[in-house]
Amino acid sequence: MATTDPQAGTTATTAPAEPLDPTGAPGTLPLPPKAARTLTLAGAVGTFASTMLAWTWTAEFPGDLTYYGSPVDLQTLTLAGSLLTIAFLLAGNGVRGLRWLTPGGRTAPVTLAALGTFGVAWFTAGAIAVVLGGFIHFEPGMWVAVFTSLLTVVGALGLRADEPFDPADPALRDPGPWQRFRHSLKAPAPAAARELPGWAELLTIAVTFGVGLFVFTYGIDTPYGELFIGFLILVGFGATALARAGLSQRLSKLTAKHRNITFTAAFVAAACFPFTQSSDQYTSVAANILIFATVALGLNVVVGLAGLLDLGYVAFLGVGAYAAALVSGSNTSVLGVHFPFWAAVLTGAGASLIFGVVIGAPTLRLHGDYLAIVTLGFGEIFRIGMENLDGSSGPAVTNGANGIANIPDLVIFGFNLGEDHTVLGVELGPFANYYLLMLFFTIIIVTIFRRADRSRIGRAWVAVREDETAARAMGINGFRVKLIAFALGATLAGMAGTVQAHVTSSVTPEQYQFVEVVPPNSAFLLAAVILGGMGTVSGPLIGASLLYLIPAKLQFIGDYQLLLFGLALVLLMRYRPEGLIADRRKKLEFHETGQLDVPTGGPGLSKTEA
Amino acid sequence: MTTTTTTGTPQAQPAGRTDVLRASGVTMRFGGLTAVRNVDLDVDSGEIVGLIGPNGAGKTTFFNCLTGLYIPTEGQVAYKGKVLPHRSHLVTKAGIARTFQNIRLFANMTVLENVLVGRHTRTKEGLLSALLRGPGFRKAERGSEERAMELLEFTGLAGKREHLARNLPYGEQRKLEIARALASEPGLLLLDEPTAGMTAGETSATRDLVLAVREQGTAVLVIEHDMRFIFNLCDRVAVLVQGEKLVEGSPEAVQADERVVAAYLGTPFEGEPGEAEAAEVREAETREAAAHDGGQTGTGENPKGEQH
Amino acid sequence: MNDLPQQLASGLILGAMYGLIAIGYTMVYGIVQLINFAHGEIVMFGAFGGLTAWLLLPQGTALTLALPLMLVMAVGVSVLVGIGAERFAYRPLRNAPRLAPLITAIGLSIMLQQLIWSFYPDAKKARSFPQFSGESVQLLGANVQRGELFLLIAAPICMIALGFFVAKTRTGRAMQATSQDPDTAKLMGINTDRIIVTAFAIGAAFGGVAAIAYGLKYGQIDFKIGFILGLKAFTAAVLGGIGNIYGAMVGGVVLGLAESLATAYIEHIPGMELFGGGAWKNVWAFVLLILVLLVRPQGLLGERVADRA
Repeated sequence: MATTDPQAGTTATTAPAEPLDPTGAPGTLPLPPKAARTLTLAGAVGTFASTMLAWTWTAEFPGDLTYYGSPVDLQTLTLAGSLLTIAFLLAGNGVRGLRWLTPGGRTAPVTLAALGTFGVAWFTAGAIAVVLGGFIHFEPGMWVAVFTSLLTVVGALGLRADEPFDPADPALRDPGPWQRFRHSLKAPAPAAARELPGWAELLTIAVTFGVGLFVFTYGIDTPYGELFIGFLILVGFGATALARAGLSQRLSKLTAKHRNITFTAAFVAAACFPFTQSSDQYTSVAANILIFATVALGLNVVVGLAGLLDLGYVAFLGVGAYAAALVSGSNTSVLGVHFPFWAAVLTGAGASLIFGVVIGAPTLRLHGDYLAIVTLGFGEIFRIGMENLDGSSGPAVTNGANGIANIPDLVIFGFNLGEDHTVLGVELGPFANYYLLMLFFTIIIVTIFRRADRSRIGRAWVAVREDETAARAMGINGFRVKLIAFALGATLAGMAGTVQAHVTSSVTPEQYQFVEVVPPNSAFLLAAVILGGMGTVSGPLIGASLLYLIPAKLQFIGDYQLLLFGLALVLLMRYRPEGLIADRRKKLEFHETGQLDVPTGGPGLSKTEA
Repeated sequence: MTTTTTTGTPQAQPAGRTDVLRASGVTMRFGGLTAVRNVDLDVDSGEIVGLIGPNGAGKTTFFNCLTGLYIPTEGQVAYKGKVLPHRSHLVTKAGIARTFQNIRLFANMTVLENVLVGRHTRTKEGLLSALLRGPGFRKAERGSEERAMELLEFTGLAGKREHLARNLPYGEQRKLEIARALASEPGLLLLDEPTAGMTAGETSATRDLVLAVREQGTAVLVIEHDMRFIFNLCDRVAVLVQGEKLVEGSPEAVQADERVVAAYLGTPFEGEPGEAEAAEVREAETREAAAHDGGQTGTGENPKGEQH
Repeated sequence: MNDLPQQLASGLILGAMYGLIAIGYTMVYGIVQLINFAHGEIVMFGAFGGLTAWLLLPQGTALTLALPLMLVMAVGVSVLVGIGAERFAYRPLRNAPRLAPLITAIGLSIMLQQLIWSFYPDAKKARSFPQFSGESVQLLGANVQRGELFLLIAAPICMIALGFFVAKTRTGRAMQATSQDPDTAKLMGINTDRIIVTAFAIGAAFGGVAAIAYGLKYGQIDFKIGFILGLKAFTAAVLGGIGNIYGAMVGGVVLGLAESLATAYIEHIPGMELFGGGAWKNVWAFVLLILVLLVRPQGLLGERVADRA
């Protein structure tokens, strides 16, 4: 580009801009493209084959990886990873019938899948070495897996990146290997999908949730910690790979188009879960996860939608639980009444509502930080109060530290949830019954969340969160709007508490602390909402699942669980404060994108038209 | 803090005009500093009134007193005869809307959502209605969206309804603020420096927009520094200097008033070179130029050889 | 009722301890508008620091001799942790939305608790802290434990020193400027980063002093003491007026007195017989907080926070 300076009367030329490389940028490693592809394919096939071999000679390593020809557990995960790698590689290279797999990026998914497979294989190798004590416990199959998975990664790193380097970015003028690597993980957005007939779209959604159910069930059913870690590695890299391939975005478009069907499918899938279990063991885990997740969703209304910082949220759960326990007809309850379930729910929700208003009214007029401290205090006071109302330190209401035990099982419409029932040929135990009951409440809370979000009050919440002064100038009564959110959150927690009382069959003060190893507790609830992604529906559900399962499955972390939890919070806020499922708004609040966020479809098209 | 309240028997108006805003004796003290001192200002329906004054004169503070952001230390503000409560959301509900000097849009909401928030005070569907999603709710939402789109058309932003407010160019952000303010169907619109940082073209477009707003029946009170904009637009201009109203009248009258000039430009100082001296200097310069005329190519340079 | 002087005395001393910790909260909040949730844990670390000093000294050292060393160690550890927190946890989030540093603070608080619980020898239960043996001293009709004397001397010294520092020294004035308008302070050539570190350091140092006082008073420390101390101290800071250093001490004293008097006398109020005693003492702090927020939210001495509108 030549510029002419009229005054100086001379012409200066700047170096011509680099022409955009239509085939993307070079990969991390300097390999010729064909070699890279071959290497990746060979490695992936090799990894696949290696899972058919024995990896260790003794069954002492959990899962018994001693067989030839029948991969189990960690080997199965590695196998799945290698298949995924192969699929993406073939799809990216235009093999017929598979092209739908990679509408977006083509290299990034391969790299990520390869890394995931590599992660699982090497993790297994490391675990065997640690658990059994040394590399001598490896069978040749393990070495093969180690080698081939590494080969796959090396090959994948040689593939050309999907996107050309941005000529305007000075850091990419002479990129080093790390920058090239990071760049190779980026992928373009997928092109718009070909219109599918309605039934095909719905089928896709249904299948997706079926797959989701399978993955989730696999995760919950992992009998030992190492398998769970391998599962997390594969799912983590796999999900990212799917996102880079553009499939997540395509799915999002589908679900956005068929919102109600999506939610129905999700709940049907969730309801199917107890039917996949042969015993109640993991259903109890699922029931607890569901309680935790639902309460997190309630907190999401307060924190995610209205932006209010509630650090004592578990106390509202406790109020609901204690209220329900008191009227449950338990022999340890001070009140000798036995309310029918619907009345108990109203009692629990109502009690929490009252406390919510009592706490919120004086505090919500003030600075948000005061709310944090007051709610933190309330959480503590609730626990202390429940402990002290035992007749000696205070009036006898709650039976003190022993709590209210022996809460009878619910009987709804003659259906006793404490007993086994056979439905559709599958025996459902008490936990399955309570799981389904809780699911019903989850549906209610999700509906409440969605409807409140997309409404006048939902907009008012966002406005107050963004700029309260401006919101007031628009006629929004900031205090009233915040109180509504706070009280609603409290009520939802109270509702969930009534079910929790029956699931745990006893309520004690120590279940409701600020932080403890087993959720739910205020810190974990907050973390679930933030980790998952504030303001979205699926965010807290996923966050809660992870935060419940990780400590439950990885028992060997033992004493260091909370330490790692605290560390995780610090790191999360430093590197990904918007959480896993990022609400578009939140992402923008936390990061400057520097790009024009123009909706696809061009100007003039509305959300529903695009 | 003393506030005098009068129960509103509105005073007799000239025929055909209703008093939209009547601010009387508004005073705002912050500790020892008096930012606004005993300011009276009236705005009649169908008027566009300008409020000018040097920086720090108290104009935005005065606005804040009108809208309930600040509670005036003394004086009262009446809108259409009724004294206004000191809460900004109630003021908006009563019928006064405003924009801000530093744009205060909801940056991470879309253009449409911003205007929908503006509709908040004219709709009443609360949480229960939102949860039940009855026909009343749907009707109200549709109505709000229609009205919001009308306003976006009015301000020329209809094509960008799904864009995030933070991604709009500056001029359009200002327009969005106005659209948002208009969404609450105000009888009086307060604009705080609407053309700050604008090009001549954008300023002219803003002028047209404000005139259109007046056509629709909303009175306007505008703070500005761009004199040409004010004088081309306003029916009346008030001048605020150091918290006090100095002068009020038609644009021509205010422009000519030497106190106003003095407030902006200062007064001449002692020993300033007068007209005679200035004329001498000009003559001397022309003579110099004529003397050197032979060697130049007549490109209109002044004696110093600078190009224009 | 005739032990009123006793209750007042113990309330006052308790309050002085709360006040010292509250200063840490209020200074940090005044400058960066952050509730340093980890401050309670900073105090707790100081307590363990002091204990470590004691344990390292040869057996049989007189406490009076050991005390200065323990104090130095406590203050040193607290300040180290405080500065570390600022540098590595909070500073990177200086411009992030409010939620991020708050959550970080919570995470940090949990981490610090767990570090002691997991790694300090025998810290899974309470560890005993040396106390002064010997008779309590009679002071104006009240019995004052020897350990409490420490605080009676230390707290006023700290307050006077702080008052002098803030009003008369260059750094102190720079601190006032930064807390009122950080951008302008920067333009005036004030190194606001360094000022913020100083604020954290002073707060932590006072916390270290309070930690020793705590240990001397209660005779034992554990990893959880930071939580409730922190909660009460922040209440005290709000009570006195957040951002206001003198308010923090005043708030602390008011809180200490309220707690002491309520614990002793509430049960004498008809209808409240069962609410007396130690079991409810933490509740009174909270009740007081709610009352203050209802009636005078800017605190007894008024807030001192920059208007960040």
